[in-house]
Amino acid sequence: MVDVAVIGAGQTKFGNHPLGLKGMWAESAENAYASIDGDFDPSMVDEAFIGSIAFGGGQIGNTAALLTEHTGMDNIPVRRVENACASSGFAFRDAWMAIKSGQADIVVAGGIEKMNDLSPERKRFWLGVSGDTEWERLAGLTFPGTYALMARRHFHEFDSQHDDLVNISVKNHQHGLDNEYAHLRKDVSFDKAQNGFMVADPLTLYDCCPTSDGASTVILAADHVAKKLCEDPVWVLGSGAGSDHLALHDRPSITQLIATQRAATSAYNQAGITANDVDLAEVHDCFTIAELMATEDLGFANRGEGGLFAREGRGIRNQGRVTINASGGLKSKGHPLGATGTGQVVEVFKQLRGEVEQTRQVRDASIALTHNVGGSGATCAVHVFGRELL
Amino acid sequence: MTSNQCIPWQGNLACIQQNGIVIKSRHSIENEHVFGPDSDYTTLAISGLNLLSDELTINEVRSNSLIDDLTLQACGYLIDEKAEWTINCNSDASVSISNGEVQSWDIEGEEMDKDFHSSIQSAWKAEMDAVSQGAFVSEQAYRSGADSRMNFASQQLGDIRIWPPREMIGDQRPEQSTPLSQSGTIESWTKLSAGGAPSEFSLRAPILDGIGTVFVRMDDGPCGVFLIADDDSGEPEIGDKVTFAVRRLYAQDGLIRYGLKAILS
Repeated sequence: MVDVAVIGAGQTKFGNHPLGLKGMWAESAENAYASIDGDFDPSMVDEAFIGSIAFGGGQIGNTAALLTEHTGMDNIPVRRVENACASSGFAFRDAWMAIKSGQADIVVAGGIEKMNDLSPERKRFWLGVSGDTEWERLAGLTFPGTYALMARRHFHEFDSQHDDLVNISVKNHQHGLDNEYAHLRKDVSFDKAQNGFMVADPLTLYDCCPTSDGASTVILAADHVAKKLCEDPVWVLGSGAGSDHLALHDRPSITQLIATQRAATSAYNQAGITANDVDLAEVHDCFTIAELMATEDLGFANRGEGGLFAREGRGIRNQGRVTINASGGLKSKGHPLGATGTGQVVEVFKQLRGEVEQTRQVRDASIALTHNVGGSGATCAVHVFGRELL
Repeated sequence: MTSNQCIPWQGNLACIQQNGIVIKSRHSIENEHVFGPDSDYTTLAISGLNLLSDELTINEVRSNSLIDDLTLQACGYLIDEKAEWTINCNSDASVSISNGEVQSWDIEGEEMDKDFHSSIQSAWKAEMDAVSQGAFVSEQAYRSGADSRMNFASQQLGDIRIWPPREMIGDQRPEQSTPLSQSGTIESWTKLSAGGAPSEFSLRAPILDGIGTVFVRMDDGPCGVFLIADDDSGEPEIGDKVTFAVRRLYAQDGLIRYGLKAILS
């Protein structure tokens, strides 16, 4: 079967972006086109998948058609992919499958969200549409609330505490400090993160990612095309995805994400690796507790030991076996919902090719992973990448 | 029924008399009883009927124009103008439910801040006029789940008790079962700041200083998330027992949504 590679990847800066949907997408696509080593023209793209929740402020229906017509990808099959915050993680998987199936040779996967042109009230409305509407939302819960419930329960069941989350926050802010695409480039002290404004007890402001504008674009190609267009392709070694009950109350446990475990197992098996082989992982830290649980669910730490993993600084760049969120993660880099999944791919593409700022470079990285979660864990996509085919 | 026995009940005050009961808000301002932050005549009536139903079988009631009849029906009480039991709404934030004459009774309430009460009542009025911007719980969706939301109507599949209701599990549809017992244990909790609460709560959340939610495992097995009744500011603990009572959840598009909320022990 055909192998699939990422041959180009680019994004906008995440944050309060002055451009609208079309402008952001064009900037992101331009950056992706420019990253391709060989002679590339967007008319070569066979199909496109664009992840977006369509966050209320702009085009909601037929978003993909609007965006691709402004970036030279005319008249090709396109569609918007929606899986909450995992929208573009799944768009990437769809693009990978389109090539794997033999139906396409060059496919674009991307994501976009414009969040900061809405009033705070409208923003809160849209931030709540992906949780369980009928029961959780009627109980006053938005995602800070659902993740707060998970955090408190994790603290109760295991040797974890809020200071472990503080360590994650400090680490990710440190990692994002030199990332020119990051939303919050701030050096945050332990003391400051420990004493932040309480958003959803026990989670403070420093446990929560920001709401960001942004777009990200990734270009995938079949092996026979990739080798012609790219001197240094990044290979997709495994693609896994999973789902779980939408509402917390239907899950057997609220201290783990089964969707992540299923997606990771599938991606690892396909790649023929284990968690021990991963050099850097971009994990979905929409809240710091989400990163703590992800380190367990992805197999970097044993069940219940995510707190210890964070406490010992085992995810800090170039200090432990694996670097967690070299980009700064959602916490520092930002979280433009639909753009986050392929934004993670942009980071690992550059990291594996040694193209990020020198201060951020993960040394000798050859295997990378992306982990993109929808909402409180109803959906998850995990991808494994390598400098070489294994 | 024991005559003139007064007890605290579901966050309210109840006086059991020979011919029925009077159930009154426990909150007061300058010795006059007023509704709590999430209660009204409907929640008091349901609470009173639940108390009466502990000893009597009440299937039909004569309702009152200040009561939301559909909510009453979702709790298992049919509306019938010829019913033996009549609900009357009184000006002192109380409801009497009787099959004969009942007496009002005086009891000291918990003093509530006047400004807080005024703000929260104004917010409820404004909330009634608020219009949803799209993805929300429509009246149809709210009504269709009302017996589970208000009365813990549950389902059964083999040995498994199911709540909230599900359509298919595997290739089977669960059977309708009896309501869950209204008690459980807190497995986790949080308090959302006003800025973190859903937009439906945006008018009241700042007044309430946030929204308290508990994750509860019911004694019958299923789990659920619930708002804390009466904006109780007490800090819950994992392992604490809770009971439940119907209260206002929020209002939108001219409709008050009711549901079970957790009463902290």
